[in-house]
Amino acid sequence: MPATTFRAADDLVDALRGTAALRPVADRGLAGGLRAWLEDGVFERVGAPEPDAVSLSTRDVAGAREDAGPLAWLRGSMVGALLALRVAGVALTDPLERAVEVLRASGRNDALLRTLDALDADERARLAAEVGAHSRVLCDRLATPPPRWAPRCAVRQRVSVAGGALVLRGLVDLALGAPGGERACVCLLDVTTARLDASHETALAYLALLETIRSGEPPLRVAALSTADGAALVRDVDESLLADGVAAVIAALPVPGSS
Amino acid sequence: MTTVRRLLAPSPASLVALLTAPADATTSGLPDGLRRAVCERLGGGGHDVVLRLDAFAVERGPARFGEPFRWTVRASRRTLGTAALRHLEDRVATDPLRAATEAIEALCDRAHRGLARRGTLGTWLATQPAAVRAACAVAAATWATAVAHVVDLDLHHDVVAVGVPDAWVEVPGARTTLHGRADAVGRAEGRGVLRVRDGAPGPRALDGLAVDGLLASLVAGGADQPARILGAWPDAGLCVVVELDAETLRRGARALVRAAPSPKPVVVSPPLAA
Repeated sequence: MPATTFRAADDLVDALRGTAALRPVADRGLAGGLRAWLEDGVFERVGAPEPDAVSLSTRDVAGAREDAGPLAWLRGSMVGALLALRVAGVALTDPLERAVEVLRASGRNDALLRTLDALDADERARLAAEVGAHSRVLCDRLATPPPRWAPRCAVRQRVSVAGGALVLRGLVDLALGAPGGERACVCLLDVTTARLDASHETALAYLALLETIRSGEPPLRVAALSTADGAALVRDVDESLLADGVAAVIAALPVPGSS
Repeated sequence: MTTVRRLLAPSPASLVALLTAPADATTSGLPDGLRRAVCERLGGGGHDVVLRLDAFAVERGPARFGEPFRWTVRASRRTLGTAALRHLEDRVATDPLRAATEAIEALCDRAHRGLARRGTLGTWLATQPAAVRAACAVAAATWATAVAHVVDLDLHHDVVAVGVPDAWVEVPGARTTLHGRADAVGRAEGRGVLRVRDGAPGPRALDGLAVDGLLASLVAGGADQPARILGAWPDAGLCVVVELDAETLRRGARALVRAAPSPKPVVVSPPLAA
Protein backbone atom coordinates (compact mmCIF):
# COMPACT_ATOMS: atom_id res chain seq x y z
CA MET A 1 0.00 0.00 0.00
CA PRO A 2 1.72 3.25 -1.05
CA ALA A 3 2.05 5.98 1.53
CA THR A 4 2.89 9.61 1.08
CA THR A 5 5.98 11.00 2.75
CA PHE A 6 4.64 12.22 6.04
CA ARG A 7 6.72 13.53 8.89
CA ALA A 8 5.35 13.86 12.37
CA ALA A 9 5.94 17.60 12.31
CA ASP A 10 3.93 18.09 9.11
CA ASP A 11 0.51 19.60 9.25
CA LEU A 12 -2.01 16.97 8.30
CA VAL A 13 -4.05 19.26 6.05
CA ASP A 14 -0.94 20.11 4.04
CA ALA A 15 0.03 16.44 3.87
CA LEU A 16 -3.42 15.54 2.59
CA ARG A 17 -3.60 18.17 -0.10
CA GLY A 18 0.01 17.97 -1.21
CA THR A 19 1.27 19.85 -4.26
CA ALA A 20 -1.47 20.64 -6.76
CA ALA A 21 0.77 20.08 -9.79
CA LEU A 22 1.64 16.56 -8.65
CA ARG A 23 -1.93 15.32 -8.29
CA PRO A 24 -2.89 12.47 -10.62
CA VAL A 25 -5.51 12.79 -13.33
CA ALA A 26 -8.92 11.75 -11.96
CA ASP A 27 -9.60 8.21 -13.18
CA ARG A 28 -13.35 8.07 -13.77
CA GLY A 29 -13.19 4.61 -15.27
CA LEU A 30 -12.57 2.88 -11.96
CA ALA A 31 -15.96 3.29 -10.28
CA GLY A 32 -17.93 1.09 -12.67
CA GLY A 33 -15.41 -1.73 -12.50
CA LEU A 34 -15.26 -1.60 -8.70
CA ARG A 35 -19.03 -1.77 -8.47
CA ALA A 36 -19.13 -4.75 -10.83
CA TRP A 37 -16.38 -6.46 -8.86
CA LEU A 38 -18.29 -5.91 -5.63
CA GLU A 39 -21.51 -7.24 -7.12
CA ASP A 40 -19.76 -10.37 -8.37
CA GLY A 41 -18.21 -10.85 -4.93
CA VAL A 42 -21.54 -10.45 -3.18
CA PHE A 43 -23.16 -12.98 -5.48
CA GLU A 44 -20.35 -15.51 -5.03
CA ARG A 45 -20.38 -15.13 -1.26
CA VAL A 46 -24.05 -14.90 -0.39
CA GLY A 47 -25.93 -15.70 -3.61
CA ALA A 48 -28.83 -13.42 -4.52
CA PRO A 49 -30.00 -11.92 -1.22
CA GLU A 50 -33.21 -9.97 -0.63
CA PRO A 51 -33.17 -6.17 -0.92
CA ASP A 52 -31.66 -4.51 2.18
CA ALA A 53 -30.60 -7.95 3.43
CA VAL A 54 -27.11 -6.89 4.48
CA SER A 55 -25.96 -3.53 5.81
CA LEU A 56 -22.31 -2.94 6.62
CA SER A 57 -20.70 0.03 8.36
CA THR A 58 -17.05 1.04 8.51
CA ARG A 59 -16.83 -0.74 11.83
CA ASP A 60 -18.14 -3.99 10.37
CA VAL A 61 -15.76 -3.91 7.42
CA ALA A 62 -12.65 -2.75 9.26
CA GLY A 63 -12.77 -5.71 11.62
CA ALA A 64 -13.73 -6.24 15.20
CA ARG A 65 -12.47 -3.62 17.54
CA GLU A 66 -13.29 -3.62 21.22
CA ASP A 67 -16.87 -2.68 21.74
CA ALA A 68 -16.81 0.93 22.89
CA GLY A 69 -18.76 1.83 26.01
CA PRO A 70 -21.04 4.88 26.26
CA LEU A 71 -18.24 7.04 27.65
CA ALA A 72 -16.03 6.25 24.67
CA TRP A 73 -18.91 7.12 22.32
CA LEU A 74 -19.45 10.35 24.21
CA ARG A 75 -15.76 11.23 24.00
CA GLY A 76 -15.71 10.41 20.28
CA SER A 77 -18.78 12.54 19.59
CA MET A 78 -17.22 15.40 21.51
CA VAL A 79 -14.03 15.20 19.48
CA GLY A 80 -16.21 15.17 16.34
CA ALA A 81 -17.89 18.36 17.54
CA LEU A 82 -14.50 19.93 18.27
CA LEU A 83 -13.35 19.01 14.76
CA ALA A 84 -16.26 20.99 13.30
CA LEU A 85 -15.31 23.95 15.50
CA ARG A 86 -11.69 23.62 14.38
CA VAL A 87 -12.83 23.72 10.75
CA ALA A 88 -14.83 26.86 11.51
CA GLY A 89 -11.73 28.45 13.04
CA VAL A 90 -13.13 28.64 16.58
CA ALA A 91 -10.54 28.79 19.38
CA LEU A 92 -10.98 25.61 21.43
CA THR A 93 -10.74 27.07 24.91
CA ASP A 94 -12.57 24.98 27.52
CA PRO A 95 -13.13 22.17 25.00
CA LEU A 96 -15.52 20.12 27.16
CA GLU A 97 -17.95 23.01 27.52
CA ARG A 98 -17.71 23.89 23.82
CA ALA A 99 -18.35 20.27 22.84
CA VAL A 100 -21.29 19.95 25.25
CA GLU A 101 -22.84 23.11 23.82
CA VAL A 102 -22.63 21.69 20.30
CA LEU A 103 -23.91 18.24 21.31
CA ARG A 104 -26.89 19.75 23.14
CA ALA A 105 -27.81 21.74 20.03
CA SER A 106 -27.14 18.92 17.59
CA GLY A 107 -30.56 17.30 17.93
CA ARG A 108 -29.08 13.83 17.44
CA ASN A 109 -27.28 12.96 20.66
CA ASP A 110 -29.95 12.74 23.35
CA ALA A 111 -28.79 9.32 24.60
CA LEU A 112 -25.18 10.53 24.87
CA LEU A 113 -26.30 13.63 26.72
CA ARG A 114 -28.15 11.48 29.22
CA THR A 115 -24.88 9.63 29.78
CA LEU A 116 -23.14 12.96 30.30
CA ASP A 117 -25.76 14.24 32.73
CA ALA A 118 -25.49 11.04 34.76
CA LEU A 119 -21.76 11.55 35.43
CA ASP A 120 -20.71 12.57 38.91
CA ALA A 121 -18.23 15.39 39.48
CA ASP A 122 -15.16 13.12 39.43
CA GLU A 123 -16.19 11.38 36.23
CA ARG A 124 -16.97 14.68 34.60
CA ALA A 125 -13.59 16.10 35.61
CA ARG A 126 -11.89 13.02 34.17
CA LEU A 127 -13.85 13.42 30.94
CA ALA A 128 -12.92 17.11 30.79
CA ALA A 129 -9.23 16.19 31.13
CA GLU A 130 -9.49 13.55 28.41
CA VAL A 131 -11.37 15.78 26.00
CA GLY A 132 -8.88 18.55 26.70
CA ALA A 133 -5.99 16.25 25.83
CA HIS A 134 -7.67 15.10 22.60
CA SER A 135 -8.43 18.71 21.72
CA ARG A 136 -4.79 19.73 22.16
CA VAL A 137 -3.65 16.93 19.84
CA LEU A 138 -6.33 17.89 17.31
CA CYS A 139 -5.19 21.51 17.30
CA ASP A 140 -1.51 20.53 17.09
CA ARG A 141 -1.94 18.17 14.15
CA LEU A 142 -4.72 19.77 12.16
CA ALA A 143 -4.66 23.36 11.00
CA THR A 144 -7.93 25.07 10.15
CA PRO A 145 -8.34 24.25 6.45
CA PRO A 146 -8.74 27.24 4.12
CA PRO A 147 -12.44 27.71 3.23
CA ARG A 148 -11.58 27.61 -0.48
CA TRP A 149 -10.82 23.89 -0.07
CA ALA A 150 -14.53 23.35 0.60
CA PRO A 151 -14.19 21.61 3.98
CA ARG A 152 -17.18 19.40 4.84
CA CYS A 153 -17.71 17.72 8.19
CA ALA A 154 -19.57 14.49 8.96
CA VAL A 155 -20.15 13.54 5.33
CA ARG A 156 -22.25 10.41 5.11
CA GLN A 157 -21.82 7.75 2.44
CA ARG A 158 -24.52 5.22 1.66
CA VAL A 159 -23.95 3.00 -1.34
CA SER A 160 -26.30 0.21 -2.42
CA VAL A 161 -24.94 -2.63 -4.53
CA ALA A 162 -26.33 -5.90 -5.86
CA GLY A 163 -29.73 -4.39 -6.54
CA GLY A 164 -30.00 -2.96 -3.04
CA ALA A 165 -29.17 -6.29 -1.36
CA LEU A 166 -26.05 -4.85 0.21
CA VAL A 167 -25.95 -1.38 1.74
CA LEU A 168 -22.52 0.02 2.57
CA ARG A 169 -22.44 2.91 5.05
CA GLY A 170 -19.56 5.19 5.91
CA LEU A 171 -18.98 8.46 7.70
CA VAL A 172 -16.16 10.79 6.72
CA ASP A 173 -15.22 13.15 9.54
CA LEU A 174 -13.67 15.75 7.25
CA ALA A 175 -13.65 15.96 3.46
CA LEU A 176 -11.64 18.52 1.50
CA GLY A 177 -11.76 19.45 -2.18
CA ALA A 178 -14.59 18.94 -4.66
CA PRO A 179 -14.75 16.20 -7.29
CA GLY A 180 -15.34 16.98 -10.94
CA GLY A 181 -12.03 18.55 -11.88
CA GLU A 182 -9.42 17.21 -14.27
CA ARG A 183 -7.18 16.09 -11.41
CA ALA A 184 -8.16 14.16 -8.29
CA CYS A 185 -8.37 16.51 -5.34
CA VAL A 186 -10.83 15.10 -2.80
CA CYS A 187 -9.20 14.17 0.51
CA LEU A 188 -10.92 12.26 3.31
CA LEU A 189 -9.94 12.33 6.96
CA ASP A 190 -11.08 9.91 9.63
CA VAL A 191 -10.50 11.20 13.16
CA THR A 192 -10.46 8.62 15.91
CA THR A 193 -9.92 8.80 19.64
CA ALA A 194 -8.44 5.28 19.61
CA ARG A 195 -4.83 4.43 18.78
CA LEU A 196 -4.23 3.56 15.13
CA ASP A 197 -3.95 -0.11 14.23
CA ALA A 198 -4.35 -2.32 11.18
CA SER A 199 -8.12 -1.87 11.20
CA HIS A 200 -7.69 1.81 10.37
CA GLU A 201 -5.86 0.91 7.14
CA THR A 202 -8.87 -1.17 6.16
CA ALA A 203 -11.25 1.60 7.21
CA LEU A 204 -9.41 4.07 4.96
CA ALA A 205 -9.57 1.68 1.99
CA TYR A 206 -13.31 1.22 2.64
CA LEU A 207 -14.02 4.96 2.83
CA ALA A 208 -12.03 5.53 -0.37
CA LEU A 209 -14.01 2.77 -2.09
CA LEU A 210 -17.38 4.25 -1.08
CA GLU A 211 -16.33 7.72 -2.19
CA THR A 212 -15.19 6.36 -5.55
CA ILE A 213 -18.44 4.50 -6.16
CA ARG A 214 -20.78 7.27 -5.05
CA SER A 215 -19.02 10.18 -6.75
CA GLY A 216 -17.62 8.31 -9.73
CA GLU A 217 -14.13 9.59 -9.01
CA PRO A 218 -11.44 8.22 -6.67
CA PRO A 219 -10.31 10.60 -3.94
CA LEU A 220 -6.75 11.86 -3.96
CA ARG A 221 -5.79 10.76 -0.46
CA VAL A 222 -7.30 9.32 2.67
CA ALA A 223 -5.95 9.73 6.17
CA ALA A 224 -6.63 8.74 9.74
CA LEU A 225 -5.67 10.83 12.74
CA SER A 226 -5.59 9.48 16.26
CA THR A 227 -6.24 12.18 18.81
CA ALA A 228 -5.04 9.74 21.49
CA ASP A 229 -1.38 10.15 20.54
CA GLY A 230 -1.29 12.31 17.41
CA ALA A 231 -0.33 9.43 15.12
CA ALA A 232 -1.51 9.81 11.55
CA LEU A 233 -1.78 7.53 8.56
CA VAL A 234 -1.91 9.07 5.09
CA ARG A 235 -2.54 6.96 1.98
CA ASP A 236 -2.57 7.85 -1.69
CA VAL A 237 -5.64 6.36 -3.32
CA ASP A 238 -4.83 4.03 -6.18
CA GLU A 239 -6.12 0.79 -7.66
CA SER A 240 -4.47 -1.39 -5.04
CA LEU A 241 -5.98 0.55 -2.13
CA LEU A 242 -9.43 0.37 -3.72
CA ALA A 243 -8.94 -3.36 -4.37
CA ASP A 244 -8.16 -3.77 -0.67
CA GLY A 245 -11.45 -2.01 0.06
CA VAL A 246 -13.39 -4.41 -2.18
CA ALA A 247 -11.69 -7.41 -0.59
CA ALA A 248 -12.49 -6.11 2.90
CA VAL A 249 -16.17 -5.67 2.04
CA ILE A 250 -16.44 -9.17 0.57
CA ALA A 251 -14.63 -10.65 3.57
CA ALA A 252 -17.03 -8.87 5.93
CA LEU A 253 -20.14 -10.29 4.28
CA PRO A 254 -21.96 -12.79 6.45
CA VAL A 255 -21.88 -16.29 4.99
CA PRO A 256 -25.38 -17.76 4.59
CA GLY A 257 -26.15 -20.25 7.34
CA SER A 258 -23.78 -18.65 9.84
CA SER A 259 -25.41 -16.64 12.59
CA MET B 1 -41.98 8.70 -16.51
CA THR B 2 -39.32 8.07 -13.88
CA THR B 3 -35.65 7.39 -14.46
CA VAL B 4 -32.84 6.65 -12.03
CA ARG B 5 -29.35 7.86 -12.83
CA ARG B 6 -25.94 7.79 -11.29
CA LEU B 7 -25.58 11.28 -9.91
CA LEU B 8 -22.06 12.50 -10.26
CA ALA B 9 -20.47 10.42 -12.97
CA PRO B 10 -19.16 11.50 -15.30
CA SER B 11 -20.14 15.09 -14.47
CA PRO B 12 -23.08 17.09 -13.14
CA ALA B 13 -23.57 18.55 -16.60
CA SER B 14 -26.18 15.95 -17.54
CA LEU B 15 -28.19 16.85 -14.44
CA VAL B 16 -28.06 20.52 -15.34
CA ALA B 17 -29.25 19.66 -18.84
CA LEU B 18 -32.31 18.00 -17.29
CA LEU B 19 -32.94 21.01 -15.06
CA THR B 20 -32.94 23.34 -18.03
CA ALA B 21 -34.47 21.18 -20.77
CA PRO B 22 -38.03 22.02 -21.91
CA ALA B 23 -40.96 19.78 -21.03
CA ASP B 24 -41.49 16.73 -23.17
CA ALA B 25 -44.75 16.02 -24.99
CA THR B 26 -46.30 14.01 -22.14
CA THR B 27 -46.13 16.87 -19.66
CA SER B 28 -49.43 18.67 -19.78
CA GLY B 29 -49.17 20.86 -16.70
CA LEU B 30 -51.49 21.01 -13.75
CA PRO B 31 -54.73 19.07 -14.40
CA ASP B 32 -57.91 21.12 -14.20
CA GLY B 33 -59.49 21.07 -10.79
CA LEU B 34 -56.56 19.42 -9.00
CA ARG B 35 -55.88 22.44 -6.80
CA ARG B 36 -59.52 22.65 -5.75
CA ALA B 37 -59.71 18.89 -5.13
CA VAL B 38 -56.61 18.92 -2.90
CA CYS B 39 -57.86 21.89 -0.89
CA GLU B 40 -61.32 20.38 -0.46
CA ARG B 41 -59.92 17.09 0.76
CA LEU B 42 -57.54 18.75 3.19
CA GLY B 43 -59.91 21.54 4.20
CA GLY B 44 -62.25 19.50 6.34
CA GLY B 45 -59.60 18.51 8.85
CA GLY B 46 -61.01 19.79 12.12
CA HIS B 47 -57.49 19.79 13.61
CA ASP B 48 -56.94 21.90 16.70
CA VAL B 49 -53.26 22.52 15.85
CA VAL B 50 -51.65 24.14 12.86
CA LEU B 51 -50.74 21.34 10.49
CA ARG B 52 -47.88 21.41 8.05
CA LEU B 53 -47.77 18.75 5.34
CA ASP B 54 -44.66 18.18 3.28
CA ALA B 55 -42.68 15.45 1.56
CA PHE B 56 -41.27 14.28 4.90
CA ALA B 57 -44.77 13.80 6.30
CA VAL B 58 -45.62 11.80 3.20
CA GLU B 59 -42.53 9.62 3.39
CA ARG B 60 -42.41 9.08 7.14
CA GLY B 61 -46.09 8.91 7.99
CA PRO B 62 -47.54 9.82 11.40
CA ALA B 63 -44.11 9.64 13.10
CA ARG B 64 -43.48 13.04 11.53
CA PHE B 65 -46.03 14.57 13.88
CA GLY B 66 -44.86 12.72 16.99
CA GLU B 67 -42.41 15.30 18.29
CA PRO B 68 -42.79 19.09 18.29
CA PHE B 69 -40.34 20.92 16.09
CA ARG B 70 -37.29 22.53 17.66
CA TRP B 71 -34.33 24.23 16.08
CA THR B 72 -31.11 22.22 16.15
CA VAL B 73 -27.85 22.31 14.21
CA ARG B 74 -29.31 19.72 11.88
CA ALA B 75 -32.68 21.43 11.50
CA SER B 76 -30.99 24.72 10.64
CA ARG B 77 -28.70 23.18 8.04
CA ARG B 78 -30.86 23.52 4.93
CA THR B 79 -32.25 26.96 5.76
CA LEU B 80 -28.79 28.35 6.43
CA GLY B 81 -27.30 26.42 3.51
CA THR B 82 -29.89 27.95 1.19
CA ALA B 83 -29.08 31.42 2.50
CA ALA B 84 -25.39 30.67 2.00
CA LEU B 85 -26.02 29.61 -1.60
CA ARG B 86 -27.85 32.88 -2.17
CA HIS B 87 -24.82 34.77 -0.83
CA LEU B 88 -22.57 32.74 -3.14
CA GLU B 89 -24.77 33.38 -6.14
CA ASP B 90 -24.88 37.10 -5.40
CA ARG B 91 -21.09 37.04 -5.04
CA VAL B 92 -21.45 38.41 -1.48
CA ALA B 93 -19.14 35.62 -0.30
CA THR B 94 -16.59 33.53 -2.14
CA ASP B 95 -16.89 30.20 -0.33
CA PRO B 96 -19.71 28.29 1.39
CA LEU B 97 -18.30 28.54 4.93
CA ARG B 98 -17.93 32.30 4.80
CA ALA B 99 -21.33 32.57 3.14
CA ALA B 100 -22.96 30.48 5.90
CA THR B 101 -21.23 32.51 8.60
CA GLU B 102 -22.45 35.74 7.03
CA ALA B 103 -25.99 34.35 6.76
CA ILE B 104 -25.93 33.50 10.48
CA GLU B 105 -24.61 36.94 11.39
CA ALA B 106 -27.35 38.59 9.35
CA LEU B 107 -30.07 36.52 11.05
CA CYS B 108 -28.66 37.22 14.52
CA ASP B 109 -28.44 40.91 13.72
CA ARG B 110 -32.12 40.97 12.76
CA ALA B 111 -33.01 39.14 15.96
CA HIS B 112 -30.98 41.51 18.12
CA ARG B 113 -32.74 44.47 16.50
CA GLY B 114 -36.10 42.92 17.37
CA LEU B 115 -37.03 42.20 13.76
CA ALA B 116 -37.35 38.41 14.11
CA ARG B 117 -40.44 36.66 15.40
CA ARG B 118 -40.36 34.26 18.33
CA GLY B 119 -39.53 30.71 17.28
CA THR B 120 -37.70 31.68 14.10
CA LEU B 121 -34.23 30.46 13.27
CA GLY B 122 -32.73 33.92 13.82
CA THR B 123 -34.19 34.15 17.32
CA TRP B 124 -32.84 30.70 18.18
CA LEU B 125 -29.38 31.45 16.76
CA ALA B 126 -29.17 34.72 18.64
CA THR B 127 -29.60 32.87 21.94
CA GLN B 128 -26.98 30.23 21.17
CA PRO B 129 -23.30 30.36 22.15
CA ALA B 130 -20.69 31.09 19.51
CA ALA B 131 -19.68 27.42 19.34
CA VAL B 132 -23.19 26.36 18.31
CA ARG B 133 -23.37 29.10 15.69
CA ALA B 134 -20.02 27.91 14.31
CA ALA B 135 -21.25 24.31 14.20
CA CYS B 136 -24.35 25.53 12.35
CA ALA B 137 -22.13 27.34 9.85
CA VAL B 138 -20.07 24.20 9.18
CA ALA B 139 -23.18 22.03 8.79
CA ALA B 140 -24.77 24.58 6.43
CA ALA B 141 -21.56 24.93 4.42
CA THR B 142 -21.33 21.15 4.08
CA TRP B 143 -24.88 21.06 2.75
CA ALA B 144 -24.39 24.07 0.46
CA THR B 145 -21.20 22.55 -0.97
CA ALA B 146 -23.12 19.38 -1.84
CA VAL B 147 -25.83 21.35 -3.66
CA ALA B 148 -23.30 23.55 -5.43
CA HIS B 149 -21.47 20.48 -6.62
CA VAL B 150 -24.60 18.68 -7.82
CA VAL B 151 -25.37 21.58 -10.18
CA ASP B 152 -21.72 22.56 -10.74
CA LEU B 153 -22.61 26.08 -9.68
CA ASP B 154 -19.39 27.75 -10.79
CA LEU B 155 -20.01 26.64 -14.36
CA HIS B 156 -23.80 26.80 -14.58
CA HIS B 157 -24.88 29.74 -12.42
CA ASP B 158 -26.30 31.43 -15.52
CA VAL B 159 -28.78 28.61 -16.24
CA VAL B 160 -29.46 27.24 -12.75
CA ALA B 161 -30.73 29.25 -9.78
CA VAL B 162 -29.87 28.10 -6.25
CA GLY B 163 -31.10 29.46 -2.93
CA VAL B 164 -34.62 29.59 -4.35
CA PRO B 165 -37.71 29.97 -2.14
CA ASP B 166 -39.78 26.94 -1.20
CA ALA B 167 -43.39 26.55 -2.31
CA TRP B 168 -45.98 27.33 0.38
CA VAL B 169 -49.69 26.72 -0.14
CA GLU B 170 -52.29 27.64 2.49
CA VAL B 171 -55.38 25.46 2.46
CA PRO B 172 -58.39 27.80 2.63
CA GLY B 173 -60.63 27.25 5.64
CA ALA B 174 -58.19 24.94 7.41
CA ARG B 175 -55.21 25.40 9.65
CA THR B 176 -53.13 23.47 7.16
CA THR B 177 -50.07 24.61 5.23
CA LEU B 178 -48.50 22.64 2.41
CA HIS B 179 -44.73 22.96 2.09
CA GLY B 180 -42.86 21.97 -1.06
CA ARG B 181 -39.10 22.20 -1.00
CA ALA B 182 -36.84 23.25 -3.88
CA ASP B 183 -33.05 23.50 -3.70
CA ALA B 184 -32.37 24.65 -7.26
CA VAL B 185 -34.37 25.38 -10.40
CA GLY B 186 -33.54 25.80 -14.05
CA ARG B 187 -33.85 29.41 -15.10
CA ALA B 188 -35.47 28.64 -18.47
CA GLU B 189 -39.20 28.29 -19.03
CA GLY B 190 -40.34 24.71 -18.60
CA ARG B 191 -37.68 24.39 -15.97
CA GLY B 192 -36.85 21.49 -13.70
CA VAL B 193 -36.86 21.58 -9.91
CA LEU B 194 -34.04 19.96 -7.91
CA ARG B 195 -34.32 18.49 -4.43
CA VAL B 196 -31.16 17.42 -2.62
CA ARG B 197 -31.76 14.77 0.00
CA ASP B 198 -29.86 12.87 2.68
CA GLY B 199 -29.10 9.16 2.66
CA ALA B 200 -30.55 6.99 -0.08
CA PRO B 201 -33.99 7.00 -1.71
CA GLY B 202 -36.50 5.23 0.52
CA PRO B 203 -39.53 3.21 -0.56
CA ARG B 204 -41.75 6.32 -0.68
CA ALA B 205 -39.19 8.66 -2.23
CA LEU B 206 -41.19 8.97 -5.44
CA ASP B 207 -44.26 10.09 -3.47
CA GLY B 208 -42.12 12.72 -1.74
CA LEU B 209 -40.80 13.99 -5.05
CA ALA B 210 -44.32 14.03 -6.51
CA VAL B 211 -45.47 16.18 -3.56
CA ASP B 212 -42.63 18.66 -4.01
CA GLY B 213 -43.36 18.73 -7.75
CA LEU B 214 -47.09 19.24 -7.19
CA LEU B 215 -46.55 22.14 -4.80
CA ALA B 216 -44.03 23.76 -7.15
CA SER B 217 -46.69 23.49 -9.86
CA LEU B 218 -49.42 24.92 -7.64
CA VAL B 219 -47.47 28.08 -6.82
CA ALA B 220 -46.11 28.56 -10.33
CA GLY B 221 -47.93 30.78 -12.75
CA GLY B 222 -49.62 29.16 -15.76
CA ALA B 223 -46.70 29.50 -18.17
CA ASP B 224 -44.06 28.72 -15.58
CA GLN B 225 -45.04 25.16 -14.76
CA PRO B 226 -42.02 23.00 -13.86
CA ALA B 227 -41.46 20.21 -16.36
CA ARG B 228 -39.84 17.70 -14.04
CA ILE B 229 -38.48 17.20 -10.57
CA LEU B 230 -35.06 15.76 -9.88
CA GLY B 231 -34.25 14.16 -6.56
CA ALA B 232 -30.53 13.99 -5.87
CA TRP B 233 -29.10 11.82 -3.09
CA PRO B 234 -25.38 12.77 -3.00
CA ASP B 235 -24.69 10.36 -0.09
CA ALA B 236 -25.69 7.52 -2.38
CA GLY B 237 -24.59 9.08 -5.68
CA LEU B 238 -28.08 8.66 -7.12
CA CYS B 239 -30.52 10.89 -8.93
CA VAL B 240 -34.18 10.17 -9.66
CA VAL B 241 -35.85 12.14 -12.43
CA VAL B 242 -39.65 12.38 -12.47
CA GLU B 243 -41.56 14.07 -15.29
CA LEU B 244 -44.34 16.20 -13.81
CA ASP B 245 -47.14 14.86 -15.98
CA ALA B 246 -50.77 14.70 -14.87
CA GLU B 247 -50.39 11.24 -13.36
CA THR B 248 -47.39 12.30 -11.21
CA LEU B 249 -49.20 15.40 -9.99
CA ARG B 250 -52.26 13.33 -9.04
CA ARG B 251 -49.95 10.90 -7.27
CA GLY B 252 -48.56 13.80 -5.23
CA ALA B 253 -52.08 14.96 -4.38
CA ARG B 254 -53.13 11.48 -3.25
CA ALA B 255 -49.98 11.17 -1.12
CA LEU B 256 -50.69 14.51 0.59
CA VAL B 257 -54.26 13.56 1.39
CA ARG B 258 -53.14 10.20 2.78
CA ALA B 259 -50.49 11.87 4.93
CA ALA B 260 -52.93 14.20 6.67
CA PRO B 261 -53.73 12.81 10.10
CA SER B 262 -57.34 11.79 10.65
CA PRO B 263 -59.42 14.42 12.37
CA LYS B 264 -60.04 13.89 16.04
CA PRO B 265 -63.16 11.80 16.61
CA VAL B 266 -66.02 13.77 18.08
CA VAL B 267 -66.53 12.54 21.62
CA VAL B 268 -70.17 12.57 22.62
CA SER B 269 -70.66 12.80 26.37
CA PRO B 270 -72.85 10.08 27.83
CA PRO B 271 -76.20 11.32 29.03
CA LEU B 272 -76.28 12.34 32.62
CA ALA B 273 -77.72 9.74 34.94
CA ALA B 274 -81.20 10.48 35.99
